[in-house]
Amino acid sequence: MSNVSFIDITDPLTTLTETYALIDNGNGQFTTMAKSVYDAQQAANTLPSELSTPTTPQAGE
Amino acid sequence: MSISNANTSAANINRFQYTATGGETSISGVDSNGATISYIIGKEQVFVNGVLLERTADYTATDGATIALSNALVAGDILEIIAFSAFTVSTAVSAATVANKGDLLVGTSAATVTNLPVGADGSTLVANSSASTGVSWATPSTMANPVINGGFDNWQRGTSIAITYNATFGYTADRFWSSTGFNGTVSRQATGDTTNLPNIQYCARVQRNTGDTNTAAATFVTPLETATTIPFAGKTVTVSFYARAGANYSTSGNGLSFNLITGTGTDQNRFGSYTGEAYPVSGTPTLTTTWQRFAYTGTIASTATEMAVYFRADRTGTAGANDYFDVTGVQIDLGTYTATTAPAFRRSGGTLQGELAACQRYYYREANGSANAIVATAYATSGTIAASYVYLPVQMRAVPTVVDFSTIAFESPGNILTGNITAAVITDKSSVNVASVNVTTSGLTTGQTGWLRYNNSTSAYLGFGAEL
Repeated sequence: MSNVSFIDITDPLTTLTETYALIDNGNGQFTTMAKSVYDAQQAANTLPSELSTPTTPQAGE
Repeated sequence: MSISNANTSAANINRFQYTATGGETSISGVDSNGATISYIIGKEQVFVNGVLLERTADYTATDGATIALSNALVAGDILEIIAFSAFTVSTAVSAATVANKGDLLVGTSAATVTNLPVGADGSTLVANSSASTGVSWATPSTMANPVINGGFDNWQRGTSIAITYNATFGYTADRFWSSTGFNGTVSRQATGDTTNLPNIQYCARVQRNTGDTNTAAATFVTPLETATTIPFAGKTVTVSFYARAGANYSTSGNGLSFNLITGTGTDQNRFGSYTGEAYPVSGTPTLTTTWQRFAYTGTIASTATEMAVYFRADRTGTAGANDYFDVTGVQIDLGTYTATTAPAFRRSGGTLQGELAACQRYYYREANGSANAIVATAYATSGTIAASYVYLPVQMRAVPTVVDFSTIAFESPGNILTGNITAAVITDKSSVNVASVNVTTSGLTTGQTGWLRYNNSTSAYLGFGAEL
């Protein structure tokens, strides 16, 4: 899930263009979402506290 | 009152008979049958020739051994004394054993009873082998288990999900996401223990790959939405679950940190932390390689508007072949319970199909078809984009925002098949019931009609996410 690219897709019917995150999960598996959704998730799930050795595991970080 | 297992413990009746020689006014000693006259004062009856005498007026009996008659006997009179013995019941229980209305007498061992004070209004009496009385009062949980897929029946994304260190967090089993503090897998496993865990088929296994040296926290979490949380605000709850460890589980002391985390935000996923985060229920059970049930109780703040069940393993060193923990039967009940008294695990959705529907409120994957299975009708809106509409089997929590896919192609009549689509995005024409999706491929002709289908692969899929 670390291979991420951003693509602009224009809806031919509305002619609106939006940027999407295209995540290559490997083995021909992909996930797409609006870049704004991806950015919001990234902002939340890369907090250092979850990826470092905790000092207060009881508190659940 | 009394209780007894020997109802024959009644008073004895002793009968004395004396034949008069004439003139006697005092009878004592040995009767005509050789029995020594004795009685309990006031518990005797005296008859002469079958007629019951009146105490005091006809006789007095004041020493337990002598009957003094007011009128002398005549020769040949037959005097009979009926004497009742003392009544004793060795197993009598004092009425004072119970103190209040509704108290119960319960056994604590063979031939031993004690008082069980009446329970709170609405509580029910349940068997409890860990209680000295063998039973205890419990508050019946009248709400469904809010933890969807707590028995890990549903794995729409696949039954083994690879975890890559420091990658984006992602959902694994339906409704449960895993952090990425390690390289490994989250997979469905059979519980395989008909003795300690006979009624739940599957569990989730959070495993570090052999040789992995990443020791950051491995968290396995299911966030519950606000609408699910509100009914539990201000209430005492018990969270119960089953867990076990692999032979090489590498946390300190084989511990597994558990928290019920609450927040005051709305429908957050707790990838990072909740707004107003609190930890009303927590524990650190020590795991063994055998299934154990654990239960922890606490009170949720009245201000809580979201909650998550959170498991966390802090591994050490290099992973061995079986560095994992298994968990299943995750449940939240109103009231206070122990691991023994907690209600049996029940699916949030009731039935297997109900549980799947509950999961599909958050994520739906069209999958598990034949190699050429059709997903939805589609038509080309340009040379590279085809529009398609997928009717969702369950109304989703929100309009889906995420699409995932693999090995999907566009096909038009005449078996004209494109290559695999390279992108699939939700459009603004989607609703909670219908996903409008534009797929990107090549070789299309504007206005071309057809359908999306699996491209010669049984592992193809098209999924829609409306997760927290």
